[in-house]
Amino acid sequence: MSRIGVFVCHCGENISRTVDVEQVARAAGKISGVAYACDYKYMCSDPGQNLLKKAVSEHKLDGVVVAACSPRMHEKTFRKAASAAGLNPYLCDMANIREHCSWVHEDKKLATSKASDIVKLMVERVKKGKSLAPITVPVTKRALVIGGGIAGIQAALDIADAGHQVVLVEREPSIGGHMAQLSETFPTLDCSQCIMTPKMVDVANHPNITLHTFSEVEKVEGYIGNFQVTLKHKARSVNESKCTGCGICMTKCPKKKIPNEFDQGHGLRTAIYVPFPQAVPNTPVIDRENCTMFQSGKCGVCAKVCGPGAVDYQQEDRFSVEAVGAVVVATGFKLYSIDRKPEDSPIQGYGEFGYGAIPDVIDGMTFERLASASGPTGGKILRPSDGKEPKQVVFIQCVGSRAREKGISYCSKVCCMYTAKHTMLYHHKVHDGQAYVFFMDARTPGKGYDEFWRRAVEEEEAVYIRGMVSRLYQKGEKIVVMGSDIQVGVQVEIEADLVVLATAVQAQDGADQLAQKLGISYDKYNFYSEAHAKLKPVECATAGIYLAGACQGPKDIPDTVSQASAAAAKVMTLFSKDQLERDPVVAKVNEKYCVGCLACKKVCPYGAVEEKEIRDRQGNLVKVVAYVNPGVCGGCGTCQATCPSKSVELDGYTDEQIMAMIESL
Amino acid sequence: MTPGKKRLNYSYYPGCSLHASGREYDISTRALFKALNVGLKEVPDWFCCGATPAHNVDELLSLSLCAKNLSLAEQVEGDLAVACAACFSRLKTTQHHLKEDEEKRKQVETAIAGPAALDKPVKHILEILAREFGLSKLEESVKKPLLGLKVASYYGCLLTRPPEVPELDDCEDPSIMEDILRALGAEPVKWSHRMECCGANFTLSRPGVVLKLSNAILESARLAGADCIMVACPLCHGNLDIRQKEIKDAYGAPDSTLFGNIFGSELQQGAPKDQRDLPVFYITQLAALAMGVPSGNLGFESVITDPKPLLREKQLL
Repeated sequence: MSRIGVFVCHCGENISRTVDVEQVARAAGKISGVAYACDYKYMCSDPGQNLLKKAVSEHKLDGVVVAACSPRMHEKTFRKAASAAGLNPYLCDMANIREHCSWVHEDKKLATSKASDIVKLMVERVKKGKSLAPITVPVTKRALVIGGGIAGIQAALDIADAGHQVVLVEREPSIGGHMAQLSETFPTLDCSQCIMTPKMVDVANHPNITLHTFSEVEKVEGYIGNFQVTLKHKARSVNESKCTGCGICMTKCPKKKIPNEFDQGHGLRTAIYVPFPQAVPNTPVIDRENCTMFQSGKCGVCAKVCGPGAVDYQQEDRFSVEAVGAVVVATGFKLYSIDRKPEDSPIQGYGEFGYGAIPDVIDGMTFERLASASGPTGGKILRPSDGKEPKQVVFIQCVGSRAREKGISYCSKVCCMYTAKHTMLYHHKVHDGQAYVFFMDARTPGKGYDEFWRRAVEEEEAVYIRGMVSRLYQKGEKIVVMGSDIQVGVQVEIEADLVVLATAVQAQDGADQLAQKLGISYDKYNFYSEAHAKLKPVECATAGIYLAGACQGPKDIPDTVSQASAAAAKVMTLFSKDQLERDPVVAKVNEKYCVGCLACKKVCPYGAVEEKEIRDRQGNLVKVVAYVNPGVCGGCGTCQATCPSKSVELDGYTDEQIMAMIESL
Repeated sequence: MTPGKKRLNYSYYPGCSLHASGREYDISTRALFKALNVGLKEVPDWFCCGATPAHNVDELLSLSLCAKNLSLAEQVEGDLAVACAACFSRLKTTQHHLKEDEEKRKQVETAIAGPAALDKPVKHILEILAREFGLSKLEESVKKPLLGLKVASYYGCLLTRPPEVPELDDCEDPSIMEDILRALGAEPVKWSHRMECCGANFTLSRPGVVLKLSNAILESARLAGADCIMVACPLCHGNLDIRQKEIKDAYGAPDSTLFGNIFGSELQQGAPKDQRDLPVFYITQLAALAMGVPSGNLGFESVITDPKPLLREKQLL
């Protein structure tokens, strides 16, 4: 005979306003097997927990049901209390009479009767419950960081400085990401490269960091503490260990007119190249699509001039497997393509803005390159079509962002600030120029941010026009910008020399594929989802994988760096123990009855189900059964519901327990 | 025609303009379809769709007018071909509204004493030429390619907007007219005012507005080096063709601003204003000409801005 204790919480008035808690406690006391039942104003408080502990020992309880809020909120609290009183914590369960009852009902009588039913269910479940012991798994104290922008760099440096090994993977030939492309940063207008390049060097020189550029994550297996990650090292066509970075290959390469991606296509590069002079590593890579040697087999100049003989046309993609315990995803963002609607995309284009058709309509990142000392114009603001200095520049905000009808409803967060910065950079370099900004509203929350924006408007003479632009068209050398000023209520037409579009921040290309490899979730815009917006902002729902930077949503540099350090701290917390304790609510397979249909494997969202071969003593294969890896299992129970032979059971939610719950009603 | 393939046949709603001020559109449409061997049978007893004024006055009336016309069109086999952009827009809008609004549909069906024929496919002749007849077949059928003719194709407001109603092409950056022009051997120019409004039905009530807007369109076409403008709407044709002299009188002087510039930026001044006449063609006139239809059958004599000198110069007459 069980001796269950039931503790009904008032939750202040959250529950007792709609549920007669005393009656629920009285009804619980009458359930067979319940040895003690009471109600209390705040069960989660110290006296409330003490009440539970005292009752366990006084009434020799062998199971506890706390009828209160959601288990998400306080299951841990009460399990800890039960454990302190000498009970197995998995024999303490919660009946959710707040979110599932008092908050969603108005009729007190009906709500009370429903609350009693919920309690009854949970009592039956606990009666059939078993003591469970936490699962322990070993931890590989080595982290993988995916993405070599400022987020990945910061996370890698923090983890490495704490004494752990870090593998940093970047798919481009150099680390640095978007921040390396920026000219100056808000709100301090300090030079982006001056902050970024030393950090890039630190990463390259750090004894605890292994840097793989021009590499991608191919496959991810395993679980928290024990991931096996296959990396693909794309063929660079240059032997990294031999190359000294002298650069003679680039000066001699006959293909010199390839648009430079780092300069947003406005500068030129050679076929063998480093993305920018401060690249880390300073090892060139051959762009095979544009290289004469690869296209026609006739050239080979770079190999001839290379002293150390580092150029290797035969090089092939190489794969390696890294064992790591934690993964930090820091894959960043890309800018919205404002051209016509891209194929297969739910996002509409902005054909009316003439991007791609009018050469002097550029995006914000291109303006950054024009303003950057290392950019294609050496930091002079010159327009792309004819290299003239633009005297009237129109900036258009919210291009793509906050435009539900075009397919993106979110705010890209950084554009208000960077456009304000652009107007300042422009004013500093072209004193007689005039900057206009079409904006919907200025969103500048952040330390020193609003002050910065005000400075752009009040001191640096940018003319802000509240209203949107309907279209642009070329008129001779000018671009006519047709818009409206909704504050004055007039149509505005400006003849501009240059138009800069603050385009939306979007998830990086291939973000969804990487998420599928990692088994993490992402939203409809392909931004990665955190486990909880407020309480677990850097964790993924998949244990052992953490997020940093704009791969989670639009973020500026300070936010990105903060989150990267937070992700690093989470990794260090994970690495602080040799063994990891995991929730024992996992599925188990009864190998005797399992027929090996592996229906469970198909439905498992965590990829926790593996095939297991059962062999006799002679080593002959008897049968194949399903095996649930407890380290990976998320305890969702989908396998249990799917199994046609009822051979899978979730500890804590066995068929017997579920049936007992149903029968109690 | 591909052997064995069924001949295309359409029911045809000309609309009032095509029987009056835009007669040449009607004449050339019939001539073109005949040349292409595409059947066109006029809807019997059709009447005005209400065009642009009716829906400003009485929504129910404007929807009922179109619904009645649609049900009349049901008597003739084949999808409904419409040449006038305003008729096209009203017919499609009616179908769109009534499909979404059950209650209004019932009101309209009471008013017209019958079903509203919401599923009768309504097609603009641009769609028919480019998609159903097909660009490649159109190109094959050309007997006299419009070589060297630089054309500014003008979409106006109604052909593509609002995007969910006509479903003709990209509403901000369409290309269907240019595609047809290329198939005809002409040279579509890149220009800025393809989608701007000409003033449409302000033509009687606020002619000043029309002059201003139409001037901008003509000027932009000239700047782009166009020899002529191509339209698919009798309202646009009216404004751009008939008013060229008035526009020249009003805006002949070196350019000032269109809407005024509230920030007083310096505008390009001094360039002598280009005052060339720009003939305004209907799509069907140009297409029929390319198909070898004699120019005397295309209504060129009834337009104000004489296209013949241009056609002669390009050796198309």
